[in-house]
Amino acid sequence: MANSVAGDPSTHAPTIDLQEIQATVLRLRPAPYFGSHVALRINDVRAGRELLRRLIPHVDSAANWWKPASAWLSIVISYPGLEALGVPQTSLASFPEAFRVGMAARSRELRDEGVNDPKNWEPLFGNGQIHIGLNAFSDSEEKWRHVIATARAQYEALSGVSVLLVQDFGAQPGDLNSLGYKDGIDQPPIEGSGVDPLPGQGRPIKAGEFILGYPGEAGAPLPMPQPDILGRNGTYVGFRKYQSRVGAFNRFLQANGSTEAERELLAAKLVGRWRSGAPLTLAPDADNPDLGADPRRNNNFDYANDPHGRQIPFGAHIRRMNPRDTQLTRLTDVNIHRVIRRGTTFGKPYDPNALSEQDDQVPRGAIFLFISAKAMATMEFLQQEWISEGNFIGIGEERDPIIGRQEEGAIFTIPKQPVRRRIHGIETFNVLRGGEYFFMPSISALNWLANLSG
Amino acid sequence: MATQHDVEQKIQQFRELFADAPEIGKKALENALHELRSQTSELPPPVESAGRVGARLGKVSELTIIVPLAPGGAKRLRAFLRLLRGNLSQGANKVGTLHTMRFVFFDNDTRLLFATAYDGDWDTYIDDFVAKIPDYLDIIDSSWDGWPGIRSPGAKDYLVKHQITAEGWYVAYPDLTVAEIQRLQRIGKAVDEFLDKIG
Amino acid sequence: MAQERETVADKIAAVREVYADAPEVGRVGLEKMMAELQAAAVDHAQQRAASAGRTGLRQGKVSELTSIVTFAPGGAKRLRVLLKLLGGNFQGADKVGTLHDMRFVFLDNDTRLLFATTYDGDWDTYIDDFSTKIPDALDVLFSNMVGYPPKGMRDPAIKDWIAGNQITADAWYVASPNLTVPEVRRLEKVGAVVDEFLDKIG
Repeated sequence: MANSVAGDPSTHAPTIDLQEIQATVLRLRPAPYFGSHVALRINDVRAGRELLRRLIPHVDSAANWWKPASAWLSIVISYPGLEALGVPQTSLASFPEAFRVGMAARSRELRDEGVNDPKNWEPLFGNGQIHIGLNAFSDSEEKWRHVIATARAQYEALSGVSVLLVQDFGAQPGDLNSLGYKDGIDQPPIEGSGVDPLPGQGRPIKAGEFILGYPGEAGAPLPMPQPDILGRNGTYVGFRKYQSRVGAFNRFLQANGSTEAERELLAAKLVGRWRSGAPLTLAPDADNPDLGADPRRNNNFDYANDPHGRQIPFGAHIRRMNPRDTQLTRLTDVNIHRVIRRGTTFGKPYDPNALSEQDDQVPRGAIFLFISAKAMATMEFLQQEWISEGNFIGIGEERDPIIGRQEEGAIFTIPKQPVRRRIHGIETFNVLRGGEYFFMPSISALNWLANLSG
Repeated sequence: MATQHDVEQKIQQFRELFADAPEIGKKALENALHELRSQTSELPPPVESAGRVGARLGKVSELTIIVPLAPGGAKRLRAFLRLLRGNLSQGANKVGTLHTMRFVFFDNDTRLLFATAYDGDWDTYIDDFVAKIPDYLDIIDSSWDGWPGIRSPGAKDYLVKHQITAEGWYVAYPDLTVAEIQRLQRIGKAVDEFLDKIG
Repeated sequence: MAQERETVADKIAAVREVYADAPEVGRVGLEKMMAELQAAAVDHAQQRAASAGRTGLRQGKVSELTSIVTFAPGGAKRLRVLLKLLGGNFQGADKVGTLHDMRFVFLDNDTRLLFATTYDGDWDTYIDDFSTKIPDALDVLFSNMVGYPPKGMRDPAIKDWIAGNQITADAWYVASPNLTVPEVRRLEKVGAVVDEFLDKIG
């Protein structure tokens, strides 16, 4: 089963060091999926290093990542976390600025303003106290509980480490996200990763765009933190927690669709896929759950026959996040703006009958985890160019309908014959509650950090 | 909205500023005060930074680069520009964000001014240009003294080093991108055709 | 037609010759692009950049004016503070109605000013427009430069002074060369009306 989800093992041996790269970089989110994010603060440098020593044996590498596995654990570290581990100053200075100052300080570049402004974030975020993040993924509840218990046994035993948050995720009926869609379908294919691309993913992208130390699309490796052992085979992970305003979303569908069919079509036009994941290009008139569930078919399309956006609107979420062969208004290489996505859903499941403003406050939403060797720069580009406006694709001020922050009276255009449909007053459906930039070290790098002295 | 007091304060600042100006300047200032009063009493359009360097008004930024030319660089660049008859639309249209662009030789062909008006922020798309039109850029930029090549990690720093942020920047329609203007052109044409048909 | 192609071949030969001793990135780049450049050079649709009149280049209806002028004593300081006070608000430019963009850049340790604009039409008309509509605003700005005529914009020597400081560009690109400022504004209005109309019937 896992084979057909990840892609067929390539006839070529992997050219990246799977034993060094952490599993989460390449392992797909399982279906069904269960897991947790744990946020820890290091209060004492020695305790921090001891924590790493204890956790490292339980951290999984990406070896044989395309084969089924029970559960896996990964570790990420923020810049304040690196400082708390006593990483030498010359090494700290070699990290990119955006990572060093943290996501809250990059709010201008990320366009995190208004309701998304860091000053409105949950108290845990934006003040540098999250040092270490643990992510546990599994395809079964039992294995998830086991792996998280193992992790907990390591950090609870140390007095110099505080637990700030344990956020469980997944376990959603049908693995739908908080707005009721199957998500996480499209992923960038990585050259030398050991599998062939799935149909529709396009040609493999140079590994160096996603993992440090390998050539990127321009030929040279991307800037890497020093020393070499710390940076190589590592990558950056961005974390953004969104609260889904399910009431507002349902009210929007109700207000702009008078029948169930109209509402579902509108829901599909916002994303570019029906709730099952079937893309509009391949299922223009009605949802097709079998198509949505099949990873060999549900992403196998392009925009060659949709130059006016009449199948998938230019402003639809998936067309923004991966324009593929759409003719953009400005010279763009889409392959250098991709991220690996390990999004997870948390909280109560989607409720199609939720309509009240109280429903908007029920804790549920998306934790968006994005991974690349230049994750900060890519996320800032995406937020500026492809999410918070529509100039790149010829739709002016319009913003992404799923994760864009909407101003009063915002517009969403659905191209169609004879006249396009323009909906006024689309609201913010996912509100940013916090986030941070992290570094995901290789296995050797984790050991190097654990064995720092001084 | 500035108060009357703010405006008068600004007027006073102008006067003080021009205390040692040539006569023509002082006279003109007095004549222009009425205008200046009305200008400073409205919210001025905020001139912002275009990112690392350069000024931006609304959506439109300015890039002004002054480079020393390499030995033989003026000759090479002139020949190249002559070949294209002073018309760079092939490459520039591809970029899609350039409103205008000019190349001006000065100081006896020892220096070059390269100035554009473009959409957005300074370095958002440079990696994309490197990916899509690296040779075009290198043909032109190789005439610049010390240019490391567009693929070099030092390329961005070179540009920043030679770019000067404008201290005054005006754009007649700061909210319109190149793509938006072209869209409006298409709409205008369609409207004219439609009106012709029903007229 | 044959003559035109011969000229292009000459130009190609000339470019190749001068790029023979170019830095490697330039030489290599040129050879890679040669086929495309050849096509571009021959392409009849490519309009040659025309003259904007007395000086400067024009593409379609849109011209460039680029001048580098020496500051008078104290002039740089005055202009800098003046520009800051104005804060980017050049209502005078709006008033003239033919100015697409304008920039003031301080060069060479504040000894010289780069003044560059994009404007509609021909040079003479442009200068006349400014002289009659906003002479005082221009005097306030340019009285800071060396050699500015005593009577400023109303001085008979003003055109010579402006032209004397102007440098014609060697290449000039305009994205929409047939759109004047008033035409852009008109299209903005048309676009808004069309959107409203389509919203109503959509």
